[in-house]
Amino acid sequence: MISRWLFRIPSWKNKLSTRLIVFYCMLTVIPISLLGAVSYMQYTRSIVEQIGEYMPRFLSLANDNIAFHMQEFSELPSLLFNSDRVLSILRHDAYQSRSTLNQEQFVVNSYLARTYLDSGSPDIIGVFLFSKNRLFYSSRLDFTGLDDSNALLPYGQDLELGGEAKILLPDEFPLAFVNSPPYLLIMKQIQDVDNRKSLGTMLIAVQLTFIDNILRHFDHNDQADLWLMDGAGKIIYHTDEQYIGTVDTELARYPLRNGSFRRGGGKDEWIISLSTSGVTDWILAHSIPLKILTEKTDRARNVIILLFFCIVLITSLLAVSYAIKFTRPITKLSRLMRQVEAGRFYVNLEIESRDEVGILARSFNSMMKTIRELIQKNFEIKLRQKEAELYALQSQINPHFMYNTLETINMAVEDGKSRTVVEMVTLLGRMLRFSLSNRSRCVRIRDEVQHMRDFLMIQKIRFSNRLMFDITLKGDIESCYTPKFILQPIVENAVKYGLNTRKILHINVSIGKELGARSGKEDIVFRIRDDGPGIPEEKLEQLEQSLRSDVPVARDSEFGLSNVNARIMLMLGPEYGLELHSVYGQGTEVVIRIPMITELEMAELTEKLGGDAHGEIQGINRG
Amino acid sequence: MLFITACSGGTGSGDYHIIYSYETETVTEELPEDQRKYTIGVVPKVKEIMYFLIAQDGAYEAGADLGVNVIYDGPPIADVSRQIKVILELIDQGVDALAVSANDPEKLLPVLQEAKRKGIKVLTWDADTLPEGRDLFVNMVDPEVLGRHLLDTLAWHMGEQGDYAILTSTLSASNQNEWIKWMSIQQQDYYPKMNLVTIAETYDDPQKAYEAAKQLLQDHPGLQGIIGIASVAPPAAAQAVKEAGQSGTIKVVGLSTPNLMADFLLDGSAQMATLWSPKKLGYLTVALAVQLLDGQMPYDGQEIRNIGNIRVKGDMVIMGEPLDFTAENVSQYDF
Repeated sequence: MISRWLFRIPSWKNKLSTRLIVFYCMLTVIPISLLGAVSYMQYTRSIVEQIGEYMPRFLSLANDNIAFHMQEFSELPSLLFNSDRVLSILRHDAYQSRSTLNQEQFVVNSYLARTYLDSGSPDIIGVFLFSKNRLFYSSRLDFTGLDDSNALLPYGQDLELGGEAKILLPDEFPLAFVNSPPYLLIMKQIQDVDNRKSLGTMLIAVQLTFIDNILRHFDHNDQADLWLMDGAGKIIYHTDEQYIGTVDTELARYPLRNGSFRRGGGKDEWIISLSTSGVTDWILAHSIPLKILTEKTDRARNVIILLFFCIVLITSLLAVSYAIKFTRPITKLSRLMRQVEAGRFYVNLEIESRDEVGILARSFNSMMKTIRELIQKNFEIKLRQKEAELYALQSQINPHFMYNTLETINMAVEDGKSRTVVEMVTLLGRMLRFSLSNRSRCVRIRDEVQHMRDFLMIQKIRFSNRLMFDITLKGDIESCYTPKFILQPIVENAVKYGLNTRKILHINVSIGKELGARSGKEDIVFRIRDDGPGIPEEKLEQLEQSLRSDVPVARDSEFGLSNVNARIMLMLGPEYGLELHSVYGQGTEVVIRIPMITELEMAELTEKLGGDAHGEIQGINRG
Repeated sequence: MLFITACSGGTGSGDYHIIYSYETETVTEELPEDQRKYTIGVVPKVKEIMYFLIAQDGAYEAGADLGVNVIYDGPPIADVSRQIKVILELIDQGVDALAVSANDPEKLLPVLQEAKRKGIKVLTWDADTLPEGRDLFVNMVDPEVLGRHLLDTLAWHMGEQGDYAILTSTLSASNQNEWIKWMSIQQQDYYPKMNLVTIAETYDDPQKAYEAAKQLLQDHPGLQGIIGIASVAPPAAAQAVKEAGQSGTIKVVGLSTPNLMADFLLDGSAQMATLWSPKKLGYLTVALAVQLLDGQMPYDGQEIRNIGNIRVKGDMVIMGEPLDFTAENVSQYDF
């Protein structure tokens, strides 16, 4: 029961090949995919960290550069002091004749044009100077919104800036240029350092192209934004012009002013970097969607995933085939073991490999060989034992026969037929000697035939010629060997049945060489024919049946035939033995077939059957 | 309020994840509060003359601009011992810095060194002491440039020949002596036909200057030019020349303010005045005193707000170039 359960075919979960495949997956697929995922995440993070670290530095440099430019622009008003003429005009009161005013206007305007527009930075688009209700100006572009009547608006010349330059955005001042280029106004008071008085206020309009030039050096992406805003979030410059002048409402929520941070999450994640200038308090900001930064990585990731699946597929196939290849011998072994379990010992596990499985197969084969040898040995011992028992039984002279013979002798003595007595005693003595002497289980055919003849002679005397027999020996076979006690039981049987029903019984024994169909050699065949009652058909079948089956170690009516048959088969092989031919009411023929055993072959046979056969027999006898 | 801020900060950092920060901890500006406490004593040579009154304006302007207390106090006359008294009073008031226009380069040393011992930053302006007395000297112009230029202007008006005299403040005044040195070098170099007859003192007093000028005209009838190198000297000389009826014959040039000289320049009794802006000087002195209290020495080319760039030679700061005032431009200036 347990072994049944154990040897049941395992379910797919328990199968070794499945386990091998699963194990492989755990060893390769899981680590590789983990490695891939972790390295992708790390790489993305390091990109983010890198840009997060370097972008603020670049921004800081750019911001410093912008601040430096702004510083330079705010130094420009002091160029006015280079001209004594302009200075003296500015120091004048405005209340003078119109022509003087216009003349002075011309002088100052042309000085402004020469100094700021013709030779200065190309970014300056206009210079405006308010002084004592006068407006002096010089501009590259036509403008509106400023004239001397509104010169005080909204700042005027009495503004207290403490010498600092103030930066104004276009919407803080009524000035407007044609084409409305993006620009900044730098407002600075002109201080007469000698008289310690304010001479007026100067406004320099600066185009934002200089910021463009500075920021151009950034590796610019269409989706990335760069913008510059003041401390309150008002956007001074933006790569997208429409935002200039608007306010970055998120500024208050930005967690820092110098550095980088991520905003949002998932697909809409941005990296924003800020740098605040210590000089201007302006914040330069850069924002870029994370997915642009990781674009290349993502592409690489996709390729790697594809490769990963290819590799996994290939290696899985390899793993599966290897697992199958590995488990196939084991499956084969288990199948063979089931065969062995079913009793088929002649199996051979053909595995050539030199690995542990090969060793296992060889061990299995050698085990099977050992088992077979053990079985063989055990079986043969059994056979010999059996044969010995049968022999022992056959070697005994039937007590009935002894009794009948002795009775016959007795009657002969009473009748005074001394010649008959002598003859019978001689015959009986010879029979007894044959039985007792010569322990070998094979005898010369001559002796065997003599023994049978003695038996028939005794019976013939006893039944006063009701029994007729003749024995024919053909060919030179007298000195060949035959198993002992094979003829006498047959004729005894024939006599027993024949004399019951027939008045006179004829027994014909012929011995000769015949070509055996089964052995393919010249065999010796004994034919014992009688004209007794024959055997009814069903009885014949039964007898033939009993000849094929195991021989009961008992003496009954059929014992003689089966004993002889069994002993011949045991000793000489299954192709030899006894055949029955009978026609009911007409007679019976018993054919005994044995191989031709010469002196030489006899020696071999003795050796094969082993000397110990005697021991066995003796053992049995003693028991 | 704090709670609300903390809350909004918390939600803010939910959306924003800092990657990298190099936020430099902004040094909390404690300096303005300290500066408010600074008291700077500014001591002129003499209190009540125009030049120093204008300088006072500049000093107070700087005090207001920079947020420091400025005490501007000086002796009523240009006298060393009176000036020492004023300085001692200022030390008692607990000033943090002293800026002194020295009446005498040596006699002020003890009191200035005592001020230094008390941890007061000492600088001189307008007129210097010996270097031991101060950390810094705020000079208006390069003495060599000024000395040579003053002689040049007189030579140009005198036709490079004739006798001339110099009206100085006192013979011990270091600045004036330095200028006189460079004037005589310039004359020896280029103008052999000119002759310096005398150097007279004015003691920075308009009355004394006027008397000294009249005396000069009496003593030297052939005199053809006067250089005044104290601010009271050129007006006094011009007045004397005018009264002597010699306007245009005796050329008058020198250091004085445009306001004092305007009338004389316009009527021809004086030919040219040269000066710097005393306002600017007062302003710069206070500005540098504050800077010194903040522990910073000025450096060459430094830009001082509302002043411009300064030059530094060793421990001497030079404010700028001298201004020339003539009949044409004198009206532009209001000091």
